[in-house]
Amino acid sequence: MADLFSSRGLRRWLPWLLLVAAGLILPVLLPPFRLNLLGRFLSLGIVALGIDLIWGFTGMLSLGQGIFFALGGYALGMYLQLDSLEPGQLPEFFSLYGVTTLPGFWQPFNSPLFTFFAIWVIPALVAGVLGYLVFRNRIKGVYFSILTQAALLVFFNFFNGQQKLINGTNGLKTDTARIFGALVGSDAMQRNLFWLTLALVVLSWLLCRWLTSGRFGDALVAIRDDEPRLRFTGYNPTAYKTLVFAVAGAMAGVSGALYTVQSGIISPQFMAVPFSIEMVIWVAVGGRGTLIGAVLGAVVINYAKSLVSEQLPETWLFIQGGLFLLVVTALPDGIVGWWRAGGPGRIQAMVGWPPVAPTYPALDLDPQVLAEQRQLESRPLSAGSASATTPQQPPAGEP
Amino acid sequence: MNVLELREVSVSFDGFLALNDLNLQLAPGELRAVIGPNGAGKTTFLDVITGKVKPTRGDVLFRGRSIVGQSEHRISRLGIGRKFQAPRVFQNLSPRRNLELAIKGDHGPATLLFGSLSASQRDRVQQLLGVVGLEPHAGQPAGGLSHGQKQWLEIAMLLAQDPDLLLVDEPVAGLSDEETDRTAELLKQLAGDHTVLVIEHDMDFIRNLDCPVTVLHEGHVLCEGSMDAVQSDHRVIEVYLGVDDPEVQSVETIA
Ligand SMILES: Nc1ncnc2c1ncn2[C@@H]1O[C@H](COP(=O)(O)OP(=O)(O)O)[C@@H](O)[C@H]1O
Ligand SMILES: [Mg+2]
Repeated sequence: MADLFSSRGLRRWLPWLLLVAAGLILPVLLPPFRLNLLGRFLSLGIVALGIDLIWGFTGMLSLGQGIFFALGGYALGMYLQLDSLEPGQLPEFFSLYGVTTLPGFWQPFNSPLFTFFAIWVIPALVAGVLGYLVFRNRIKGVYFSILTQAALLVFFNFFNGQQKLINGTNGLKTDTARIFGALVGSDAMQRNLFWLTLALVVLSWLLCRWLTSGRFGDALVAIRDDEPRLRFTGYNPTAYKTLVFAVAGAMAGVSGALYTVQSGIISPQFMAVPFSIEMVIWVAVGGRGTLIGAVLGAVVINYAKSLVSEQLPETWLFIQGGLFLLVVTALPDGIVGWWRAGGPGRIQAMVGWPPVAPTYPALDLDPQVLAEQRQLESRPLSAGSASATTPQQPPAGEP
Repeated sequence: MNVLELREVSVSFDGFLALNDLNLQLAPGELRAVIGPNGAGKTTFLDVITGKVKPTRGDVLFRGRSIVGQSEHRISRLGIGRKFQAPRVFQNLSPRRNLELAIKGDHGPATLLFGSLSASQRDRVQQLLGVVGLEPHAGQPAGGLSHGQKQWLEIAMLLAQDPDLLLVDEPVAGLSDEETDRTAELLKQLAGDHTVLVIEHDMDFIRNLDCPVTVLHEGHVLCEGSMDAVQSDHRVIEVYLGVDDPEVQSVETIA
């Protein structure tokens, strides 16, 4: 704590202080409607984090995360349907289809404890089994993407058709349900859900950081870059891929549950093909392999979407498509990747506005020198050698 | 007992026989060079041993046990390590992290997630970085290394794995003369404790290794023997030069 006020300590703690401040101030500052939107988009950041884990780090582009997202949403939705009933009653929609006894698979969702686990364990299991079968057979790349999309369609059609089991196309409403005696759709409850979402986004980010920073994370990157090579080094990639795919599935489930209670309904639409593709776009725009970019992409794009849709509903699809094209062509590492590579500095230099107090403007802005500096900074101290310090000295013959 | 034995191994790619009735034995601690013109099946031969390609016919025995049909990572864990023809290192990871991935030990997800490297593993990584002269670059992404440095990093990864049998595919392609000599020294040192099989084109390098040579041609062993014997074998001369000219006494010049 001694270094809290030193500049390094500040840089380390500042994001967390800002985060807490945002958590406290935003609920006061924003009208309930906007706060609810922000909470929803933040919850989408969790599914995006999972996609970054499996795609950005491990190289598996899943177009079927909607499956796991919806499974989490349905788990919580079913619990809420049951929880707000008088004893002996059935959820209302059942009477429309002449169902008089609760289907067996609904029973466990009477229990809040079961539901708590079902939200993330069921999606994780489904992802784990699906992933294991696919990875064991060495299906990768485009074939993996196509397969996940096909699985998504299967789930989508199945849920759409099951009126008697889960109300089919209409889905399950949650905003009029009660949780612990309070109305889910009420402002107070929505504020609590915003805080819960914020906390879970941070937790998910920490989990992903832990998974990607050590030797395990190196193995994921190695799978992404050259999977066969890793096999010859004695690794079984199937185990790694199944594990991270299951983790991403669990995160999608949590994301879906949070999104459901903040938008008031869960329906098969959450398993529609375009939605799962949009999830990938959030990560691409925010920055693959950056983690924070996934959250940023999800929040920024969805906020932009809601703002644009309020004004000019027809234009959003074009804007989103254009954004994606821009990223693919101009910013392949997304916004965060561009930022980390010194993008803002380059723009400053381009408009002839040098950064604060460069000692030798021509030298300090030289891309070559900047690249060398970055290399030096990234080099661990233990590996330092005498030659490591020389490039930092200015050339002798300074004009 | 032989460390490695190939018995009448054939590999067919849609009818084309990349390996044709190949027989080969390696004794423990042996250093062996395999040469042969392009397309002779040298790389395919390594693919068969390491489990990348299944033989159409025949059997591959490692320490007396058949390894045909086992997956690559299992064969690797048995103690067979491989260096690829084009250097294949993990470009986005630093040399240190490349070595930390390759280092001998359990390679399961739980160990990588919850365990940490032991002191001896760390020391070994540091030592290997020194051996191949990559200490100054230990922290930068390996993608920025020169071709020669990548070759050496991959050799270091192979050493980090500490396999009993080392399969080395064209290790000196693109290396300077000095680096080539050092590589030959390194491989000679390794033989004895390890069994080493080297595939190369560079005749000076092979001569430097001073070991038995197997010549591969059209997926088949053409002849075996010392470098001198092999170079003056008329079948080898014919295969390499496409002539059976009695004037040509040796393939010394073709490298
Ligand atoms: N996967 C494959 N499919 C079809 N043909 C292959 C395959 N791999 C190798 N070959 C063929 O087998 C022959 C031997 O190849 P290779 O083992 O790479 O030779 P070398 O390493 O001796 O140059 C070549 O003619 C090559 O074209
Ligand atoms: Mg080859």
